[in-house]
Amino acid sequence: MSELQFQAILPFVLLAASSIVVILLIAFRQRHTVIQVTGFLMMCLVVFTMWQVRTVLPRALPPLFLVDGFAAIFTGMIVFSVLVVGLFSFVYFEEREENPREYYILLFLATLGGAVLTISKHFLSFFLALELLSVGLYALVGYLRYRNNAIEAGMKYLILAALSSAFLLFGMALVYMETGSMDFAFIVQRLAATRPANSVLFIMGISIMLVAVGFKLALVPFHLWAADVYQGAPAPVTAFIATSSKIAVFAVLLRLSQQIGLQQFPVFTTIFSIVAIASMITGNFLALQQQNVKRLLAYSSIAHFGYLLVAFLPGNTAGVEATIFYLSSYSITLLSALGVITVMSTRERDAEDIADYRGLFWRYPALAAVLSIALFSLAGIPLTAGFLAKFFVLAAGVQANLWLPVTVLVLASVVSLYFYLRIISTLFADAPAAEERKHTLHPFFHFATYATLWVMLFLLCWLGVFPGMFLAVVRDFLLLR
Amino acid sequence: MQLLFYISSFIALLATVMVITRYQPIHALLYLVVSFLAVAMIFLSLGAPFVAVLEVIIYAGAIMVLFIFVVMMLNLDKETAAQERKWLTPKVWLGPSLLVLVLLGEMIVLLLKGNGSALPGTTVPPRAVALSLYGPYLIAVELAGFLLMAGIVGAAHIGQHKKKHLHRFLEEKSTIP
Repeated sequence: MSELQFQAILPFVLLAASSIVVILLIAFRQRHTVIQVTGFLMMCLVVFTMWQVRTVLPRALPPLFLVDGFAAIFTGMIVFSVLVVGLFSFVYFEEREENPREYYILLFLATLGGAVLTISKHFLSFFLALELLSVGLYALVGYLRYRNNAIEAGMKYLILAALSSAFLLFGMALVYMETGSMDFAFIVQRLAATRPANSVLFIMGISIMLVAVGFKLALVPFHLWAADVYQGAPAPVTAFIATSSKIAVFAVLLRLSQQIGLQQFPVFTTIFSIVAIASMITGNFLALQQQNVKRLLAYSSIAHFGYLLVAFLPGNTAGVEATIFYLSSYSITLLSALGVITVMSTRERDAEDIADYRGLFWRYPALAAVLSIALFSLAGIPLTAGFLAKFFVLAAGVQANLWLPVTVLVLASVVSLYFYLRIISTLFADAPAAEERKHTLHPFFHFATYATLWVMLFLLCWLGVFPGMFLAVVRDFLLLR
Repeated sequence: MQLLFYISSFIALLATVMVITRYQPIHALLYLVVSFLAVAMIFLSLGAPFVAVLEVIIYAGAIMVLFIFVVMMLNLDKETAAQERKWLTPKVWLGPSLLVLVLLGEMIVLLLKGNGSALPGTTVPPRAVALSLYGPYLIAVELAGFLLMAGIVGAAHIGQHKKKHLHRFLEEKSTIP
């Protein structure tokens, strides 16, 4: 490995080191606070390093990895989400019955898996990184193991994720059998050289691999786990699943499709259109009568990844930019919504019933403001990031003449307004007698959590009004390839 | 000599079907061992002796023996011992033993034949495996290490016991660290 290659992979090495640092801190019996602060600083360091090493990009580490601007953006988004999730975790886990310290090891290992997914260009690294992400998540989902929902969610996630890994491996085996290569870039070359382009085994193999990807992204018809896992997992872990894990899997899907030219095959565009349309419709209709906020966010995430596929379908640069903007605005939105849920949760249970939020505005105006802006953004109301994100997706779809998915997207968004606005109207309803909540924690961490929520709120509005600067950075990074 | 490959594949499929249809865990585990041995035989006939040996040592050897020990330790007393003796009828052990005998026969045929692999292709010696694992795929090996670490930390957390107090006088104020 040359020095430049090492520099390119340095952020990932730091990410791996951070989990070991946490283990060492636990071995030396450090307190939760110390671990939290160290983890925060390590994540900041990773983002900083990623920014610094952009000058040596793109750099390939054959045969497994390719660190380019695309990977840098996605890694940045993943680590940023984990940074915020980590901040919320302190308040949440400090009050809970479980020892919170192993949580950070698992969180950072899962993040490492996600980050490595963004740079992998080989089936081997793809599978290893996906497994690292999943194995970390099994334990994270069931972390509060004395709660019934948690165990149920953990088991569901474990069994379905293991099954989807089996699908992934089988698909990879079929593709390898047909082309004799596991490197994304070489697959198509070999295929073109030796076989007809519509080889049945190749198409079968890729489709079976897409089952695993669809499972991780909770696309219809692989969405059955989403609501239960979102509900059963601790709120910060839900935020991690909804943001980092999905961003990582989407990154590897984008890279696979770019290198193989997935959109050149009519059969795959058909599959993706059907999946996108089904996800948009199913997600929104399941959410309509939902009384549990976490489940509602799960269904809305199914629908949102359906929207995202509309930008993925054209397979051009505009589509990639739209997906990146969409993913970042979506993750900021969900982080702020789940942040509010985290803050509202009591020691015994997560605040997940809509009834818990009745009259929130009269009790905690700040939290209500953050939550309503986040829901506006999810619904795609102007002046929030969600509106522009949806606009870019629509533009990418219209450019490529994808009329059917675009029409469904617009209609589904209209339906989704109903349940987002339903929650917002609950926030402003008559307040029940307000019970005082005691904050036994260190006031600094409460301040930090609130400050994070305000920063999220600011980012949502800023991306919604002045997206130019963010898009310019994204374009600069995408040129590094 | 493709016949060897097909026989061991058939045994692997048969044994796996038996695993998922047995009611007694021990019986299922016995068939699972057979299934692993058959997969090892497939690797051997494909010309990958090192992977075959690993399959036997790690899966059939370490992991399965661990499983069987745990299952046996769960019910240890005299009554169950008597009951186990009653269960251990030829009907139970005959199936797995026959399948393993077939596999053994295959291996003897393969060894007597002399040139390593049954199917056309190159034989991969351990040296080549080691050189590629610690050469180009070094980062993958390290990632696998992190994967195992995630598994261990997760299992340690989920499996952790909280102290149970039978009487409230024995209860201490301090909780576990």
